[in-house]
Amino acid sequence: MLLEIDHLTVRYEKAVLVNDLSLCVDTGELVSLVGPNGAGKSTTLRAVSGLVAWERDIKRRSTAGDIFLEGTVTFNGERIDQIPAHEIVQRGLVLCPERRRPFREMTVRENLLAGAYLQKDKKKSRETLEKVHGLFPVLNQRSPQIAGTLSGGEQQMLAIGRAFMSEPKLLCIDEPSTGLAPLIRREVFEKIAEINRLGITILLVEQEVSLVFKMSCRNYVLSSGKVIAQGTGQQLLEDELLRKTYLGL
Amino acid sequence: MNIIITGLITGSMLALLAIGFSLIFGVARIVNIAHTAFYMVAGYCIYVLSVKLGLHPVLGMLIAVVVVTVFGLLAYKFLIDPIREHEAAVLIATIALAMIFQEAMLLIFTGDYLTVSALIEGYFILFGVKIFYQQVLTFGVVLVLLAVLWFLLMKTKLGLAIRSTAEDREVANLMGMNDSQLAMITMGISVALAGFTGAVIAPLTVLSPYMWMEPLILMMAVVVLGGLGSIKGSFVAAYILGFTEALVVFLIPKGAFLKGSVALSIMILVLLLRPEGLFGIVFEEER
Repeated sequence: MLLEIDHLTVRYEKAVLVNDLSLCVDTGELVSLVGPNGAGKSTTLRAVSGLVAWERDIKRRSTAGDIFLEGTVTFNGERIDQIPAHEIVQRGLVLCPERRRPFREMTVRENLLAGAYLQKDKKKSRETLEKVHGLFPVLNQRSPQIAGTLSGGEQQMLAIGRAFMSEPKLLCIDEPSTGLAPLIRREVFEKIAEINRLGITILLVEQEVSLVFKMSCRNYVLSSGKVIAQGTGQQLLEDELLRKTYLGL
Repeated sequence: MNIIITGLITGSMLALLAIGFSLIFGVARIVNIAHTAFYMVAGYCIYVLSVKLGLHPVLGMLIAVVVVTVFGLLAYKFLIDPIREHEAAVLIATIALAMIFQEAMLLIFTGDYLTVSALIEGYFILFGVKIFYQQVLTFGVVLVLLAVLWFLLMKTKLGLAIRSTAEDREVANLMGMNDSQLAMITMGISVALAGFTGAVIAPLTVLSPYMWMEPLILMMAVVVLGGLGSIKGSFVAAYILGFTEALVVFLIPKGAFLKGSVALSIMILVLLLRPEGLFGIVFEEER
């Protein structure tokens, strides 16, 4: 297994965001986490990528409330749940955050180079940059443009491209379809599938169930911080109750 | 002509101070009130090294900058870093730090005004105005420093990391940038800039333990006018303020008395009319 989450619990003060959650992702897979708002999907990704632990350390220093993080996360055979976020990237687990969050005041090119921050070898980062340009030709055209002036779809591609620049083994993508027109959504998902075909394992969080089920190998349905069902898209759709209550189809 | 010279020099000095102040605020949200106190310490360092110990002034300047940077990093490590996530506490701590420096200088050098001699004596006359070589030198050094800083921020990986962290600390972490380490480095750069400013300005002014207050207010006005956290804004605003001040001093009779109030009036006007400043970022509420 590439990623194993075992009995993960995340609490902000008294609010339980992730409750005793376990799941795993195998090398080469494209796995999706689906479920309603507030199910703990994003928090799970934030915990895995070290952001929850990072935020916890900041809160502890400012006495502004506390975050609890329990359970184990194993990546590539190594425990990473207590490692700070910036060191997790080094190990090949990269998160493309919710709401895209490009560096708005920097150019497209600078955004992508920021993704390659840890790559010391300039030649190698140039190669990765070319790969990203191959995946998203629009980013090449927009290279000198300020990222804040891109359209929503372009910003999403930039965010994915930037994460790709960190040379991930496992790429976690949080809600890539938020606020995008249906046609652009489809394009973004096609790109994600293409990245997966390049041999990069993907853990995807999404609300757009109908599109996701077609491309992912396995899915986990989350609700109130717990896994309530798992299986292929086909299997999950066969369950009438699940479909109506949690997937909204 | 006099106005242009004074405006350029004051503006450049303010630009260096304000950019340093903006940098550390952007990266670590530290409001460093002691910023200009470091500038003062640099001035005194040069006095000790070149006047008391008789070192070559240029050597004295370089040592002064190093000393001030070390002071800054120590202050950061032991005073600011432990309370870094507590903005109000940082504010109070840096005010205290500035006071400590002020009192220390009072104890060591007493309140007498001290002067440092110019690197190059003499002057030339341009359009009927006396221009001291030292003024030209100061302006030149400032321009070089600004160019170096621009290169560092825009063209190097460290600069990219500093700008990324300033814009979105969390996402910068996701790219493998260590925000506490970067805060430390930025603090070093910021204080070094304050030190350099003190070093090049020392021959043009008099040293006193209270010399940090006036530039602090001016610098704050610059930062407010330019927009908090915006380096471009600080740069432009510094010259606007520098020239406004020079205009007031030279054109209005007894204008020198109005010097301080110009900066404060600009600050109040900006806060009333456009709180985010000329190039400021409107802070997006974290969800």
